[in-house]
Amino acid sequence: MTRNRFVAAFVLVLMLSAVSVFAQTKPKSIKLMVDGTFQVKENGEQVLVDGFKALTGMDLILNHPIHNEYYTKVDLAFATGDVPEVVLLGGNYYLKYAQAGLLADLTKYYDASSFKKNIKDPSLVEALKVNGKLYGIPFERGNGTITYVRGDWLEKLGMKAPTNYAEFLDMLRAFKNKNPDGLTPDQVIPITAAGLVNSEYPLDIYLREFYQDANPDFVKVGGKWVDGMTLANMAPALDRMRSAYAEGLIDKEIITNKTSTARDKWNSGKVGAFNYWAGQWNENLQKSIAPNVPQAKVTPILAIKETKYIERPSTVYAITKAAKNPAGIFKYFHEFVLDGAKGQTWATFGTEGVFHKVVDGKLQWMPSIQDPKKAFTKAIISAEIPMNKWNSRYTSSDLITNSLALFQASNKAYGLIPFSEEALELVPDINQIRTKYVAKIVFGDLTVADGLAAYAKETSKYSRIILKELNSQK
Amino acid sequence: MALKTYRDLGKKLSNDLVYYIMFLPVLVFALVFSYAPMAGVFLSFTKFKSTSPDGPEFIGFDNFENLFVGIKSDLFWTSFGNTIFLSLTNLILATVLSVVIALLLNELVSRKGRSFIQTVIYLPHFMSWVVVASIFTIVLSPSDGLINNIMKFFGAKDPIYFLADEDWWTPIYLFINRWKETGWGTIIYLAALTTISPEQYEAAEVDGAGRFRQMLVITLPALYTTIFIVFILNLGKVLNIFESVFVLQNPLVYDKSDVLTTFAYRVGVKDGNYGLGTAIDLFKSFMGLVLVLTTDAINRRIRGSSVL
Repeated sequence: MTRNRFVAAFVLVLMLSAVSVFAQTKPKSIKLMVDGTFQVKENGEQVLVDGFKALTGMDLILNHPIHNEYYTKVDLAFATGDVPEVVLLGGNYYLKYAQAGLLADLTKYYDASSFKKNIKDPSLVEALKVNGKLYGIPFERGNGTITYVRGDWLEKLGMKAPTNYAEFLDMLRAFKNKNPDGLTPDQVIPITAAGLVNSEYPLDIYLREFYQDANPDFVKVGGKWVDGMTLANMAPALDRMRSAYAEGLIDKEIITNKTSTARDKWNSGKVGAFNYWAGQWNENLQKSIAPNVPQAKVTPILAIKETKYIERPSTVYAITKAAKNPAGIFKYFHEFVLDGAKGQTWATFGTEGVFHKVVDGKLQWMPSIQDPKKAFTKAIISAEIPMNKWNSRYTSSDLITNSLALFQASNKAYGLIPFSEEALELVPDINQIRTKYVAKIVFGDLTVADGLAAYAKETSKYSRIILKELNSQK
Repeated sequence: MALKTYRDLGKKLSNDLVYYIMFLPVLVFALVFSYAPMAGVFLSFTKFKSTSPDGPEFIGFDNFENLFVGIKSDLFWTSFGNTIFLSLTNLILATVLSVVIALLLNELVSRKGRSFIQTVIYLPHFMSWVVVASIFTIVLSPSDGLINNIMKFFGAKDPIYFLADEDWWTPIYLFINRWKETGWGTIIYLAALTTISPEQYEAAEVDGAGRFRQMLVITLPALYTTIFIVFILNLGKVLNIFESVFVLQNPLVYDKSDVLTTFAYRVGVKDGNYGLGTAIDLFKSFMGLVLVLTTDAINRRIRGSSVL
C-alpha cells in the first residue's frame, strides 16, 4: 500500500514536471535588449514591434542602445538591476553572464523545442553550452570573415586566385609593383585590416594568410590549455607578418586602422586584399567601391591551403533570471522566431509592405526607410545564414551566396573558451599586452625572439592564473 | 545673545535676499551635479561588477591593494606615471606658451591684425577631439601625410609613423594639445593685461626702458597673480586627461600613452568592474588634491599668501 502511494506520488511529480516544461503561459509582453543588428528607430523599429504584436498579441518592449555602446549598457542593466527578460549576447559576454548564474538554463526547453529537429548543424548549438548547459539560442550562424581581393586586378595581371601562401604573397607583390590601374607602388595598399590582433573574439579572425595555424589566444593542445603566443607556431606567424610589413605588403597604418578606416581604404580603390565579413558584406563592398572604381570586382577567395577562415560562435538570445516566465518566453519568442513560418518571416524579412513584398510567390526587399536609395537587407536576422532549415521563398544575390559558399567550404568553428569570472577580468589586460607585442614585433621594434620573451615575462602572472583556472576545469 | 545673532543673521539675509535667490540655481546645480555624485566614491570600497546581482559588497581597501601591489599593479603604475608626466608637462607648456602668446598679442599695434590672430588661434578649441585626431592622423600619416611628403621632398628616405612611434608619440601628443588649446588659454591673460595702467609704461618709457624691459619689469609682475591662480585652478583638473589620449593612442604606444582615466575606462566601463574603476578614479582625484595643496603651500611660503 505504502509502495503504491510512493509510486503514485512519484508519477504525479513527473507529470507536474512535464506540465511545467511543456505547458507554458503566454506572456503579455517581453522585455528585449538588442544591439544595432535589430533595425534602428529611424529604419522601422516600431514597424517590427507592431508586426510582432499583430502576429502574437504580445508587446515587445525594447531596450535598444546604440550599437557601439551595447555591451556597456548591458553591463549597466545587469549591475543596476534593470535587467531585461531576453538579451542578445555574444562571445565572452554570454559566457560571463552564464558563468555568473544570471541566465536561465534553456537546455530542457531547447531539447523539447519544435525547431531543434530543423537545426542544420547541431554542433554549433552544442558549442554554446557552458558546463553542459545551454543558456542562449542562436537565431543565425556566427558567420566570419573571408579574404576579398580585387578580381579585376587579378584578371588584368593574368593571375589566378592564390591557393597557398607563396602565391598569396606573389599576388600582393603584383598588385603593388605591376598595378593594373596604374597606381605607383607607394599608392597601393596590398592588404589592409583593422589591426594586427582583432579587438574582439576571435583575435586572429583577420590576416588569416599570415597567422595560418597560429592563434594568439588561449588554445587547447593535447587536452591542456596553453597560451597560443607561447606555442612554436607563433614565431613563424609573426615572422611572416614582419617580413610582409617590411616589404610594404601590409598596410603601413594597420595599427591605427579601425574597421571603418580599413573599409574606407578599400572603397578608395587602393587596396588589393581585405579580409572582411562573408555574405551580405560582399554586396555592400561591391556597391561602395563602384562609385570610385566602376571596374572594380570584389572577389572572395577560398582560404589558402595553410589556413582556414574562422566561424565565430553565434550570438544568442538568452533569457535572464529576471524573467518570471522563461518557459513562456521561450515558447512564444524563441520558438516563434525559428518557426520556419510566419514568425521567422517576421524576424528575417520584417513586415510585408514595409520591409518586403511578395512577387510571384518570391520575397523581394523594399527600399529602406532611412535611405530609400538602398534596399533593406534584413529585419533582425540574416536571410542567408539561419540556424534552421526553412523555405524562406527568397533568393539571395550571387555575390552573397558565392562568398558564403566559399567561406563555408573553408572555415573552422571557433569555440568559446571556458574562462571563469575571475579569469575574464584579466583577459582584457592580457589581450592588450598581446596586441602591443605583436605590433612591436611586426613593426620591427623588437625581434621575434625578444618580443615573445618580453611578452612571456610581462604576462606570466596573468597566464599563471588564467591557465590554472582553465586547466582545473573538468 | 544667541537671539541677537539670529536676528542679525535674519537681517543680513533679508537685506541680501535678491543675491541669495540669484545664487540659488548655482547652489542647486553644484549640489546635484558635483556633490551628490560624490556618494559614488563608496563604490571604490566595494566589489561591484556587472555580474553582482546583489549589488555592491563592501570589501574595504581590497581594490586599492589590487591596484598598488596586486595583479593590476603594473598597468596601474605605468598609467599613473604617464598621467603625471603628460599632465604636468602639458600644464607647464600651456602656462608658458599662453603667457608668451598673450604678451606677443599685447604688443601688436594693429587691432585688426590682433583680432584676426586671436580668432585663428581660438578656433581649434571648438573642435572635438575626434575631429582633431582625424586631422592629425591624416597629416602625420606615413603613407601620404603632409609632413612625411614634405620630409620626402627634402630627401628623407623612410617615412615616420609618428603616432605609432614611442619616441615621437609624446611630443606629438603635447604639440597637438598646445595647437588646440593654447589660443584659448591666452584669454584670461589678455584680460589681465588690460588692467595694467598705461601710466606705468609711460613712466618706464621716460626712464628709458625699452619694450622688452617694460615687459619684464611691468607686465610680467602684474600677471604673476593671474598666472598662479590659473595654474592652481588648472592643476586641480590636470589629471583628467582622457579624450585627447583615448583618440590618439594605439597598441604600439600603450606604454607611453595609457593614463589613469583610460585605464579606469577600460576597467570600469568596458569590463564592467565598477568598484575597481571607481577606485582608480578616486585615487586620481586624491592625487589632484595633493597637487593643488602642495602647490598652494609652496606659493604661501614664497609669497606669504594662499590663493585657495
